[in-house]
Amino acid sequence: MVEQTKRTMTLNLTEAEMNVLEELSAQKELSKTALLRQALRLYQLVDARLARGEKILFEDEKKKARAELVFL
Amino acid sequence: MKIPVEIRDNSTGEIVQANLFDAITIEHFIETQKEWRPLVIAATRKLAASKLAAGDYVPAHFHWDWTSKEAQLKLLAIHFYGIEHLGVLQGIMKVESVGHVCRLPVQQGKPVIHIDYLEVAPWNVKQIMEALGKRTKYGAVGTRLIEAAVRHSIEEGFKGRVALHSLSTSERFYREVCNMTPVGRDSGKQNLLWCEFTPEQAQNFIGD
Repeated sequence: MVEQTKRTMTLNLTEAEMNVLEELSAQKELSKTALLRQALRLYQLVDARLARGEKILFEDEKKKARAELVFL
Repeated sequence: MKIPVEIRDNSTGEIVQANLFDAITIEHFIETQKEWRPLVIAATRKLAASKLAAGDYVPAHFHWDWTSKEAQLKLLAIHFYGIEHLGVLQGIMKVESVGHVCRLPVQQGKPVIHIDYLEVAPWNVKQIMEALGKRTKYGAVGTRLIEAAVRHSIEEGFKGRVALHSLSTSERFYREVCNMTPVGRDSGKQNLLWCEFTPEQAQNFIGD
């Protein structure tokens, strides 16, 4: 593919954070690096849409409930 | 960065070298509006005015406007690829790595690269050029872009899984040329056909 230069960093996680990372990685069949890269992409995308004045809503069709996610 | 890819010069039948690149700018989007859209619209007008039989081709993307996607150039979740030959844009594609998951039962819920838009220059589309009484210039541009999506998926750790909503005019290409699996029509997206590559299908497609 069109190759991108990559930079390396050390990431310190608590055991609980690492457990979640490992659990999600296994569930999604992604490496831990790939999962964290995905998380960064999602964070930036959500942030950009919120900056445009959009909202993030969680909807439970069965319970007819809606909740807005407030983002940092 | 650019990488060489092979496309077919339809005037000679010979394979020529083009460049696949991802450094898409607003200038490329403007090029599609300025150079491509008038041809697509002209062909659409001619085809719509002619007596069409059921199943005849009418461009379903005549209204597309790539320039509206400028703000997305900065997003990591969205990637654009282009194919250039002799300094002219021959095809362009937008892929998303966030916001979609696989729907095919064998890989349901797994991460997937979603091809949101893919357009080949109108002079490379047989039906458009036939409507205008001309011949196409290059072949295999769409195929090279789909291959780029598969490689992007592999690079993201998605094992080659790729999905898209096919326009009715492109269904045959995705099903028969790419061998993607047609999963079903999406009522939330103009009833377009959702197609997917499994990792095995993707591998067969790129032939690595």
